[in-house]
Amino acid sequence: MKNNKWTNLALAAMVSLSAFSCKSDDVAPDSGNDGNFVLAVTPVASEAVADYLVTAKDLESGTVSILGNGLEQDGTYRYYVTHNNKFFSMLYGQGSPGAVTTYEITDGRLTRLKNFTSETVQAFAPVNDDILMMKISRNVTNPTASYYQLNTNSLTITKEGVVNTADVLKNGELAFFTWIKQVGNKVYAPIMSIKACCSTAFETAYPDNAWIAVYSYPDMVLEKVITDDRTSYIGRYFRDGLAVDEKGDVYAFSSSVATGNGAITSTKPSAITRIASGTTAFDKSYYFDIEAAANGKNITNWIYVGQGKFVVQMTTKEEKGGYTDGKHIGIVDVYNKTFKDVTGMPAINTIKAVTYNNYTPKNGTAYIGIATTDAVSFVYKIDAATATATQGLRVEGGSITAVNRVD
Amino acid sequence: MLLFFFTASAQQPKIQTYAARVLAEGQAVAAATVRVDKQIVHSDQQGNFTFSAISGSTIHIEISAVGNQMLEQDIFLHNRLATPLLFHLKKDEKQIEKIEVVGFTKIQEVNRQAYNVTAIDATKLYNTTMNISSALDRVAGIRVRESGGLGSNFNLSLNGFSGNHIRYFMDGIPMDNFGSSFQINNIPINMAERVEVYKGVVPIWLGADALGGAINIVTSTKPGLYVDASYGYGSFNTHRTAVNAGYTSKKGFMASISAYQNYSDNDYKVTVEVADIKTGDNYQAAGRVRRFHDTYHNEAIIAQLGVVNKPYADKLLLGITVGQSYKEIQTGARMVSVFGGIHNEGNTIMPTLKYQKSDLIKGLDLTFNANFNLGTERSIDTLNRRYGWYGDWKETGANGGERSRQLYEYKNNEGIATLTANYKILARHAVALSNVATTFNRIGKNKLDPQSSALELGKKSFKDILGIGYSYDVDGLWSTTVFGKLLYQQNKNADISSTSSTEFGYGLASTYFPIPTLQLKTSYEMTNRLPTPYELFGDVENQQGNFNLKPEHSHNINLGAIYNWKVNDEHRFSMGANLIYRYAFDYIYNRFNANQTLLIADNREGVATTGTDAEFRYSYKKLLTFGGAITYQHLVNKQKYEEGYTGVSPLYNDQMPNIPYLFGNTDLGLSFRDLGTKGNVLNIHYNMLYVHSFWLYWPSLGSTAVGAEKKEIPKQLSHDLSFVYSLKNGKYNVGLEVNNIAGTQLYDNFSLQKPGRSFMVNLRYYFNKK
Repeated sequence: MKNNKWTNLALAAMVSLSAFSCKSDDVAPDSGNDGNFVLAVTPVASEAVADYLVTAKDLESGTVSILGNGLEQDGTYRYYVTHNNKFFSMLYGQGSPGAVTTYEITDGRLTRLKNFTSETVQAFAPVNDDILMMKISRNVTNPTASYYQLNTNSLTITKEGVVNTADVLKNGELAFFTWIKQVGNKVYAPIMSIKACCSTAFETAYPDNAWIAVYSYPDMVLEKVITDDRTSYIGRYFRDGLAVDEKGDVYAFSSSVATGNGAITSTKPSAITRIASGTTAFDKSYYFDIEAAANGKNITNWIYVGQGKFVVQMTTKEEKGGYTDGKHIGIVDVYNKTFKDVTGMPAINTIKAVTYNNYTPKNGTAYIGIATTDAVSFVYKIDAATATATQGLRVEGGSITAVNRVD
Repeated sequence: MLLFFFTASAQQPKIQTYAARVLAEGQAVAAATVRVDKQIVHSDQQGNFTFSAISGSTIHIEISAVGNQMLEQDIFLHNRLATPLLFHLKKDEKQIEKIEVVGFTKIQEVNRQAYNVTAIDATKLYNTTMNISSALDRVAGIRVRESGGLGSNFNLSLNGFSGNHIRYFMDGIPMDNFGSSFQINNIPINMAERVEVYKGVVPIWLGADALGGAINIVTSTKPGLYVDASYGYGSFNTHRTAVNAGYTSKKGFMASISAYQNYSDNDYKVTVEVADIKTGDNYQAAGRVRRFHDTYHNEAIIAQLGVVNKPYADKLLLGITVGQSYKEIQTGARMVSVFGGIHNEGNTIMPTLKYQKSDLIKGLDLTFNANFNLGTERSIDTLNRRYGWYGDWKETGANGGERSRQLYEYKNNEGIATLTANYKILARHAVALSNVATTFNRIGKNKLDPQSSALELGKKSFKDILGIGYSYDVDGLWSTTVFGKLLYQQNKNADISSTSSTEFGYGLASTYFPIPTLQLKTSYEMTNRLPTPYELFGDVENQQGNFNLKPEHSHNINLGAIYNWKVNDEHRFSMGANLIYRYAFDYIYNRFNANQTLLIADNREGVATTGTDAEFRYSYKKLLTFGGAITYQHLVNKQKYEEGYTGVSPLYNDQMPNIPYLFGNTDLGLSFRDLGTKGNVLNIHYNMLYVHSFWLYWPSLGSTAVGAEKKEIPKQLSHDLSFVYSLKNGKYNVGLEVNNIAGTQLYDNFSLQKPGRSFMVNLRYYFNKK
């Protein structure tokens, strides 16, 4: 009967609901990119974004894609750090506890070691066998920075504590660490002085001073604050402004981007200063005015590639901003106080972003990621000696955000 | 046939239209089903209907209507009739039973509109402990996603649209300003008589700027004195009480009160990687732990006082809604973020005014509603602690709270006024006009940060939506409505910047009955939605404001068919199916803000949805009902170029992530009447829900191999069973529910687990004296 047929059909439809399943069970074949380089790639569309980690054998040629390939990371705004042959993927998680996943490379592939729980931090860096992480307050009602010392062998937090950030500068503002760096057996933390209130949280009344807090390790006792009034603050929010060369000398750059009343108020130019090895004071005899050498451009990010040479990212006077990663690439030689613009880069208007988390074998070259407006990315090899850029590995499906190597 | 038997004796027999009217106890009977030989027609609001027949013949006529006994009569038709034929029906005392069998219930009447609409008969669910949201979860095209147990955040999606794309109403009044203690996930089903779901095109009398549809909860009012009280107790220390009582005097005085309460510890067990709060080490992989900070409760009273059936008003009611809610927050967006002190509280104090008058002048019906919420919401995070999954904690030593230290208290000062007028020009022509105005003025402060609070200025929004529609209606055959909507919004942020926008929308809805048991529907709307104050100014908790948000627009197209049939009165079937297409531009969606701490609403250039849903129902006598619904929808990203890029996005035409696209449910009910003694009924009901697995992030990105751990919301399959024993014709009821019988792990959102198997016992008393 007609009616029965319909009934059966409807019944079949209901029952067949439970028969669907679509998860793929196969293990991904070698896409030709198994290797020790780890790239982080983020989708171009921002809806419900996650980062993807892909490996590569070679940064100078070939193609790698995140379409149907790569390890999905839960959430973007993840931060990546490599230490002790391990790769750490950290979620910047809303003031809440943050999930961290640790990987190692086996047979050219990322293998998950374990998950552990950390905090949302604003600065992290290798110190001895640890990764030191700092969660820094931007609110005057909470004048503290919490630190967590993660042992990279046991993958557990072995020590944590709190440092006061109101009594570091003693100028009525909070000390906000732009980044942290191991220097000898100390931890150097360059400081941004911030009002830490209201809508002007990151503004300051002191735009023309530089400070570095020196902490003992692992006790994190504040031993000294190194000051300088030749530049504005060192580094930038979430960016590393310090580097230690082969001799143990510390070099620091200032972007000159302190703000007040919604505008940049630093009057000192972007410059490089030095703290000589074994001392805890700025070397008054060393000063390199970058804006004068680079036709008005200022440094926003840098990577030390050895022999006194840095690959720097820069913005022009017009592009300058407190949170802007520069797209102009240059070579700075801090020993000879010289500057050169890098040639061979794509046209500036075709660059969407340049990665700031990059790889260098410390042999005078750096590998940096360039995301283009064409929605593909490339790794460029920058040679400091010749100040040239060469296009290398092509990355498809998203925009590159980090270039790392794990051995 | 009789017709031809008599033709010989008739002078000039011809086909002619006859007018008739159905009355019961002198009152017009609307929506009566009239069978004149092979024709089936329905009476209108005044009880009138027409049919065509050959003059001078004798016809056989059957009239049935809810609450009345069926009338069967043979009538000889004279050549010309001076007055309409009158039919008098006798009232049927056993009307409740009749609802399921013959005539149009209000539910069916709603379903017969030209809009793509589904009505849920809430009365059938009165003996369950359901919320409105769980009842909605069984409608084709709808998926309600919850983040946990009772009172947890919910997100209803309707044909792929969700969140603010869907608007909620109670008796036609927008619920935008009802506050946290008064939402569809905490209002018990007993508050409602029915729930109407408009998919896509929303009728203008609802006067909203919905993008994807609207849900209207129709509360019950009964004549005479009635009391409906229920209490339920179940797993996780859950208590729920609902009392509805009302009285309408012969002189037209009316008073009603609804009160309800929900409480749950929500301490169900979840499977998580338990981290040591001291070392961060996840030392217990996939352990079973009990949620310890998830208590939820809310209480509300709605009281109304006024008059009905007066010359100046059919209904004039003054009322007040008073409610409060308390909600502990156990986790952040991922279960790795454990909290032990963060909670939200809120209250609602809302005076209301309702006025209704039909035939103010002949043919003109008028409705006016107004309300204002004086309630306060508080968001509290004051413990400087870090919690672990065992409820263990340590002091952080900082003063940053668990997430972001605050004791934020704010008032949104939201008010709504709606005016609806319907004017029936001629029998078949009607014009409708509606206007809805809403205001919003947030004033708030963080009591722990007075310095920052001092800088907070008011956030204001005003919105007005004017709608006008015209409909042409040939009863029982076809009807068409065309309408236009004018939307205006003005927003002011802290007196420093202000924006305003004006949008125009329009649409058409039409329905046609080729045969009385088959209905075809189609509708189209060019719809607009204005950003909500929460999207513009944030919600103080998880949402950051985006003052530059643009209104969103969508082309909505619906095509549907409903067919009913029966086999010798014992087997009854109904089937319905819909096809939908949506193309939304400047689509508003939530993404993470620049430093990943909060969600922020943003515009996406284009999202296209194609979908289909189908529903089937079968009943055998009064013993058995069986049915189900299935939905498939395909949402595609149509943004070809992302901001800042000139190349085609690799995600252009990719399926939108984190949206269920295939789901359905099926149910089976058995009703044993006069069990034990006459008037007692045992109902057994089984419901199965299925949701196909879907990806959390973009489907095309990343490896889907096993080791790659591409984030997925797994398949959900749950079975619920309930037994209800009703005594003395429904006066006393005892119910037992078992939800998620198999105790499977269910997820609506990535990593956020829902309760396992749970039990609930429910007692209900119902009394009605006319």
